[in-house]
Amino acid sequence: MKRFWTYVFIALILAGLVSIGLFAGRFVVYLSMRVLILSIFALGYNLLLGRTGLLSFGHAAFYAGGAYGLGLISIHVTTNPLLGIIVGVGLACIMALVIGFFCVRHTEIYFAMLTLAFGMMVFSLIWNLREVTGGDDGLVGIVRAPISLGFASIPITKTSHYYFFVLFCFILTVALIYLIRRSPFGLVLSGIRENDRRIEFAGLSVRNYRLAAFVISGTFAGLAGALGALLESNANPFSAHWSHSAEPILVSLIGGIQTFTGPVVGSVVFILLREIIERFTQNWMLWFGLILLIIIMGLRGGVVGGVAQLFRRKRSHVAKSGGNR
Amino acid sequence: MNAPLLEIKRLSKAFGRVIAASNIDLTIDPGVLTSIIGPNGAGKSTLINMLSGSLPVDSGRILFQGADITHLPIHHRVRMGLCRSFQVVNIFPDLTVFDNIQIPVLAVHKRARRLFRPVAREAGVREEVSQVLDRVGLAAEAQTVASALSHGDQRLLEVGIALAVRPRLLFLDEPTAGMNPVERVRVLENIRGLSEEGKTTFVIVEHDMDIVFSLSDRVVVLHHGVIIGDGTTEDIQKSARVREVYLGEEVMT
Ligand SMILES: Nc1ncnc2c1ncn2[C@@H]1O[C@H](COP(=O)(O)OP(=O)(O)OP(=O)(O)O)[C@@H](O)[C@H]1O
Ligand SMILES: [Mg+2]
Repeated sequence: MKRFWTYVFIALILAGLVSIGLFAGRFVVYLSMRVLILSIFALGYNLLLGRTGLLSFGHAAFYAGGAYGLGLISIHVTTNPLLGIIVGVGLACIMALVIGFFCVRHTEIYFAMLTLAFGMMVFSLIWNLREVTGGDDGLVGIVRAPISLGFASIPITKTSHYYFFVLFCFILTVALIYLIRRSPFGLVLSGIRENDRRIEFAGLSVRNYRLAAFVISGTFAGLAGALGALLESNANPFSAHWSHSAEPILVSLIGGIQTFTGPVVGSVVFILLREIIERFTQNWMLWFGLILLIIIMGLRGGVVGGVAQLFRRKRSHVAKSGGNR
Repeated sequence: MNAPLLEIKRLSKAFGRVIAASNIDLTIDPGVLTSIIGPNGAGKSTLINMLSGSLPVDSGRILFQGADITHLPIHHRVRMGLCRSFQVVNIFPDLTVFDNIQIPVLAVHKRARRLFRPVAREAGVREEVSQVLDRVGLAAEAQTVASALSHGDQRLLEVGIALAVRPRLLFLDEPTAGMNPVERVRVLENIRGLSEEGKTTFVIVEHDMDIVFSLSDRVVVLHHGVIIGDGTTEDIQKSARVREVYLGEEVMT
């Protein structure tokens, strides 16, 4: 019975997402794409934060890796976005592997500070390597040429067409993260969050599992970055800035880091709130910060966690990792 | 004649001026249930910490089944078959009891790296988890969150997690501390049973002398980081040195 309603719910959401692509105006479609891209970024990120219990301040670097990887391919090699995305995602993955290698041997504040330091280094590299990255101008003029698969070619030039491509990537991400969270690997990650010392005594290398979680989250950040660059037609150096690393953290916190859907719900709240507040006031950051404060402090466990708690007040103890809400 | 399971050669450890282990030589043979006793602060936990890899040694060597493991990381030792439980409860508090046991069982079955297959579909693993839960008497609590267990049950889980890696040599650091008599008997029966099966060799740190003398094949007495007694339960009960250390404790009579 509960299963049935879950399927109905998923079908409704999917129908809603598809009809946005079919019927909504350009601005709504654009905004929805920003939500979807931020969701991809945050879903991957939360595998590290909520699941493994590691707080990284450096994931903007991998987002930028995806954006610049795609941009460089698009400008210098081929405008086929598929190759650009593959290279962008691959670059982010390699960056995460290298940076993660040095970071995962430390925990808590040391880990967080190291990721911040590496993130800053990537930002200043992008800023200073003018010949390659365009410096403060970024890479401009990225075109959305059709995705050619050899046997078929999918046009994504029009905003609404590109929307469906982003939606496809979003669904793929949701599915992959869902599977990972339910897998043996996902259980080991919750074990690391709960008690990393004891994981060693299960015969597992904490370092390797942490690194794997780091690389997976960095890779999804790269996918988000590549899609974002295609959306905005440029790769922006500030996408590598540490302040951008805060976005997946905030979004996960808003939605609930111990939930599966939290990062997605958080992304919706984040983008919409910001858009609305920016209409009314110049110093949107102040009001935005205030509202975030209220959500995060008021709803321990985030929006999804809070709502879920209302629904099952009676059942007293529910395991953190148990469900895929 | 079996080769020794574990050989410790001139093992030393000091914390500042406190000497917790001083040139300890010890050999543990397979199937011999050994107890390590000694007054508080004798260095029992420190010895286990060094053998299991939680603490680096100052000097000396540790050989496990002939291989030098002195500087191996913890998880390598566990994979070779050397594991431990902790004096202070050290579980995965927010996971269910089932998942607490499942993590080590996944590791033993080499399934822990699977990324996309639901863990619920690992039938062999689930079965073994249930067996371990039955064994430690927590089958009814399988879906309870570990932190919601009573202290005694958490201790049972603590031992269960250690057993779940199917160790050849298992150190139990005060496995019955804080248990009620019923749980205590259960754990001890388990240890005896498993020891007789012969797959796992147990080394137990225990304060309760009744338990020590009824359970052990061999007793090792530590005092200030030095072994002052080593032999059968009768040898130890007769030893003058040991009596001296435990002077006044009625248990030794
Ligand atoms: N990490 C540490 N840092 C400093 N001193 C320590 C540390 N661990 C243990 N010690 C000291 O080493 C000595 C041996 O401690 P250990 O915990 O091994 O004793 P024990 O025999 O297990 O005692 P108990 O029966 O109380 O568990 C004690 O004097 C203790 O204070
Ligand atoms: Mg101790």
